[in-house]
Amino acid sequence: MIEMNPFKIAQRQLDVAADRLGLDRATHELLRWPQRELRVTIPVMMDDGEIHIFHAYRVQFNTARGPAKGGIRWHPDETIDTVRALAAWMTWKTAVVDIPLGGGKGGVTCNPKGMSEVEKQRLARAYIRAIAPMLSISKDVPAPDVYTTPQIMGWMMDEYETLIGQHHPGVITGKPIPIGGSEGRGDATARGGAYVTREAAKRLNIDLDGKTMAIQGFGNAGQYAALLGSEILGLKLVAASDSRGGIFNAKGLDPKKVVDHKLKTGNLERFPEAEAISNEELLELDVTVLFPSALENVITAANAGRIKCKISCELANGPTTPEADEILYQNNVFVLPDFLANAGGVTVSYFEQVQNAYNFYWPLAEVHERLDEKMSRAFHGVYQMYLQEKVDMRQAAYLVSVARVAEACKLRGWV
Amino acid sequence: MHPSKIPSGIPALDDVLQGIRLGDNVVWQVERLEDYQYFAEPFAETAIALHRRTVYLRFASHPPVLTPRPGLEIIELDPGLGFDYFTRETHRLIEAYGREVMYVFDNLSALVVEWATDELLANFFQITCPLLYEFNTIAYFALTRGQHAHHAVARIRDTTQILVDIYQTRGQMHIHPIKVWDRYSPQMFLPHLVAGDQWAPLSQSQEAAKVLSSVYQSPLLDTTRPIAPWESVYQKLLHYSHSPSGFDETDPEQLALKLELNRMLIGHHPVFSRLADRYFTLDDLFQIRNRLIGAGRIGGKAAGMLLARRILLASKEESGIDFSERLDDHDSFYIGSDVFFTFLVNNDLFRLRLHLTCNSATSRDEFQEIEQRFLAGHFSPTIQEQFRAMLDYYGQAPIIVRSSSLLEDSFGNAFAGKYSSVFCPNQGNPEVRLSEFMKAVKLVYASALNPDALCYRSKRGLGEYDEQMAILVQRVSGMPYRHYFFPTLAGVAFSRNLYAWNDRIDPRQGIIRLVFGLGTRAVDRVDSDYPRMIAISHPHLRPEVGVKVSKYSQHHMDLIDLKNNLFTTQSLTDLLSDGDYPNLHLLLSTMRDHYPYDPISKKMLGSKDQWVFTFNNLIRQTDLVSFIGRILSKLEEAYGQPVDIEFTASVDPVDRVRINLLQCRPLYLPGTLEEVSMPDSLDRQQTLFRAHRMISGGLVEQIRYILYIDPKRYNRLGFEAKKSLGRMVGQINRHPSIGSDKIIMMGPGRWGTSNIALGVNVSYADIDNASVLVEMALEEAGHVPEVSYGTHFFHDLIEARIIYLPVYPADAASELQEIFFETAPNVLLEWLPEAGEFESILRLIDVPKATKGAFAQVVADPRRQQAICFLDKLASPI
Repeated sequence: MIEMNPFKIAQRQLDVAADRLGLDRATHELLRWPQRELRVTIPVMMDDGEIHIFHAYRVQFNTARGPAKGGIRWHPDETIDTVRALAAWMTWKTAVVDIPLGGGKGGVTCNPKGMSEVEKQRLARAYIRAIAPMLSISKDVPAPDVYTTPQIMGWMMDEYETLIGQHHPGVITGKPIPIGGSEGRGDATARGGAYVTREAAKRLNIDLDGKTMAIQGFGNAGQYAALLGSEILGLKLVAASDSRGGIFNAKGLDPKKVVDHKLKTGNLERFPEAEAISNEELLELDVTVLFPSALENVITAANAGRIKCKISCELANGPTTPEADEILYQNNVFVLPDFLANAGGVTVSYFEQVQNAYNFYWPLAEVHERLDEKMSRAFHGVYQMYLQEKVDMRQAAYLVSVARVAEACKLRGWV
Repeated sequence: MHPSKIPSGIPALDDVLQGIRLGDNVVWQVERLEDYQYFAEPFAETAIALHRRTVYLRFASHPPVLTPRPGLEIIELDPGLGFDYFTRETHRLIEAYGREVMYVFDNLSALVVEWATDELLANFFQITCPLLYEFNTIAYFALTRGQHAHHAVARIRDTTQILVDIYQTRGQMHIHPIKVWDRYSPQMFLPHLVAGDQWAPLSQSQEAAKVLSSVYQSPLLDTTRPIAPWESVYQKLLHYSHSPSGFDETDPEQLALKLELNRMLIGHHPVFSRLADRYFTLDDLFQIRNRLIGAGRIGGKAAGMLLARRILLASKEESGIDFSERLDDHDSFYIGSDVFFTFLVNNDLFRLRLHLTCNSATSRDEFQEIEQRFLAGHFSPTIQEQFRAMLDYYGQAPIIVRSSSLLEDSFGNAFAGKYSSVFCPNQGNPEVRLSEFMKAVKLVYASALNPDALCYRSKRGLGEYDEQMAILVQRVSGMPYRHYFFPTLAGVAFSRNLYAWNDRIDPRQGIIRLVFGLGTRAVDRVDSDYPRMIAISHPHLRPEVGVKVSKYSQHHMDLIDLKNNLFTTQSLTDLLSDGDYPNLHLLLSTMRDHYPYDPISKKMLGSKDQWVFTFNNLIRQTDLVSFIGRILSKLEEAYGQPVDIEFTASVDPVDRVRINLLQCRPLYLPGTLEEVSMPDSLDRQQTLFRAHRMISGGLVEQIRYILYIDPKRYNRLGFEAKKSLGRMVGQINRHPSIGSDKIIMMGPGRWGTSNIALGVNVSYADIDNASVLVEMALEEAGHVPEVSYGTHFFHDLIEARIIYLPVYPADAASELQEIFFETAPNVLLEWLPEAGEFESILRLIDVPKATKGAFAQVVADPRRQQAICFLDKLASPI
């Protein structure tokens, strides 16, 4: 398979939505390109005394709805185009959940596996010094992403505050709680997914209580989906899988025990009272809710016809290919598209920013309550579009978010 | 005449002994070689005349007993190669010559000079005689009277059929039969004067008294002056060291004696001997001997441990680095290698061992039976008494009984766990402790016969070498916690880093594998549990980040349960739930938000569920890593060779690390021992692939087969099919043709990983016959060759001298001739007719068949970081 340029893919997705919305040429063109981007070259002294030169980026894709928001990725294969594409997707994500933020992304081409903690700290601080002109609570607010952690956010915040000489914790989110992080961040993605699933079930007239769920991918999001699917939705976990394969028990698996087993052993193998099942088989189980929570492109034209769930809640990014979307839509599999279903994370990031600005912190219950409200409202906005335009939920979500961003651009008089 | 009687060539002798019969072993106890010749010569001459196969076993430095003549077969053997080798060879010869052969052996006393102890001489006799008897042979042996310990002569007397004393008195020869089995006459056991056709017994009391009293000064006392160097060398050295001027190494005789003692305790290995000669003082050697149970050598593990300690302690004078304040003392004991053989001989296990080889394919069940036979064996009362004294010394402190075989830990032959080590919690009353200890020793002895060890020996061509099993008994280091006992830290460290997972790491600075608790978890492969890997050049790096830190960490520990008197494994969460184990803040981090936070004080805060063993603060706040780095570099310098060590460590209240060095052995690095030169002019068509990032090196010629797993097609396989394919690889590996012919195995991703998504799913046993293993990076499928945590797998590759090469097909410099691998005829179905469904993925290429006669060759040069696989001649177009 020839890997497509991710930014080209993002542009193509926009083009489809823009056509359907009938966006004017200028607005469409404006939304195809990043509004502002910065490439920096950063020298960092490593533990062994050598100076290593890192290449890094920060892209603000669109700030019409508010300050740019998006994570910082540390990855050996990072390029300006991956950062551009992800910044575009962040723009649509913040718009679909209707939080007053734009979309951005940052990246450093590096191999964090080959760096000590001290080296990571030096790199984190050097990166912030390099992109500081683009940052502030009212311009651009980064967050953790691939291979960056709350600890790294802490270092970055500290460097920024040192530069400007005052406290400014809201300049970055995903910080450790003792220095301005928000409660409720750990399970935010899965919790947001659970809320939209609940709302979808209501609309589809499905009583979820006692019904079944299967979880493909058992990382952070998958584990919380197992716990919250049971706690919030009353679903019975019948199958879960990770990269080594999965487990199945039609009578149900205790989510807590499965999570403990995974944390202890690193995988699901040998979980008692369950039979082995492959990832492929898991996806095709006759369950009420499927949570694809692992990798991209697991539901393809090849297996979409055999997917039997009622609702597919995409906690992973891009689990369904465009061809498969078509088949699922025809087969009445209700898809909660990734940038809606997994927007809980960015929403709690936004809450963190708000709490930082007020310097007043909410208890966990309040975070949950406000997240529920945001996610539910976001779902209904998209669902309305779905009914109105008779498109699949992904298209509907694109239409909602692109329209919101376009409207903001218009109101500002940019186009 | 008795049907089995064979004339001795001296009718008068036949009369005295009532004839020598087939099956007899005849031992002549003499003072002079000529007296032995007097009897051996006519025996051989007559046997030849009677057309009996006659063999003279020549092994001593004394003049020949028999001179060459037609009909006499002379076989030369070298006892200098050791008791084990000599005995094996003798037995092999006896079995090869078959039945009713006439043997004359050189004087057995010569063996003692080579083997140092009378014990081994008696062992040799005790196991060789019954074999000769079984083959219905007649064998003549000589023994010099008065030069061997009574107990050894007694064992010879008990085993042989005929024992005859020969002595000269007042110019006349007398023979005195001491034992003649199954024959009797009223005068047989009297001395006889050797004169005339009939030898008269000295039946007159006066005559007999005169002769015998002149020969035996004090017959009831052991007045022998043993020639066995074991005792005599020691006594002489003791004498010198107690003399007013003390031991003087400048005196050539005294120095020679010290070197001899060194040789008897440590062995012949050139490098070990060199180091021992240089570093061990006479006092060191006396101390070893004083802590030695039985006799013989102390084996590689014990020697390595002692040498390494001595090298480090000497370094203060040599290089100013003082290790002494940070190295723990040791109080180990050794069980000499002779004890092993005596145990085998006395318990009828020697011949079992002799006949077990790799080819005998002992199953695990059969080995369990063998173990049972060992467990049923007994030690002599003398040895048991010494065991008791040693156990009294240790009291109830836990000890470990470790194999210390003579080949183990020698250069290039790290047995890596092939022989056993057994922990003795050492609790209970003295009788219980003795019995448990002896059980442990027997299990270690039995492990010398385990199929893995036999195969390993055979594969390394060591099968014929002298392999005696000594034992090192060490105090388990550590401290009690609750009703358990364990060291805080234990690990292994290598002076060269074979696991550099990242280009920044300097492989010349070594690596540490560190665990909490007993070091077994650092040494052995343990499922889903990982030691902390510390690259000495970059101690803060680790191969994984984020939540994976938790997965790739230690979750269980090995320890000794004092209450239940056993070695066991415990979950760390259970054991440490009280949080009161000292220095936890150095060992643990707390996992929050998928990130390990290091403790900020000496208190462990936060939920225990989130604890993960990272050793981060230990690495950052103590000098453990640099200290071990200094140890490794000092030892490597002294050995003149990379080394690996086993250690335990503790942290004192002021965060200072102390090390107990348990073992040191040379580390075999493939490719560094031999110079390889890259071929300079190769036709492009000859090149099959190149690798330029690689770890191990060497040269492999005449490679007949290449097993190529098509990476792209492999990637499209389902989970189950990938698993089945791994099993197919194993079947090819075990095919009878592999072994006689060499094979390269090439395939996508990381081999040997349990994560099937990352590469070919095989275990070491599925690839152990490969000469070269090639991991192909197909990044689009996420297959990145990185040995990562397959460290044991990788160690096994190194041990098995399998060359490991990563190839990056996307990189033009790799010159991968995909067309060759994809189009060469596939002979897979000829080998595995049932593998039809895999034919398009699994390509088995018979290289000469595909190229009209060329073989593949791999040259890998680790210094230049280049490797190439090419056809050894330009054949017809491929």
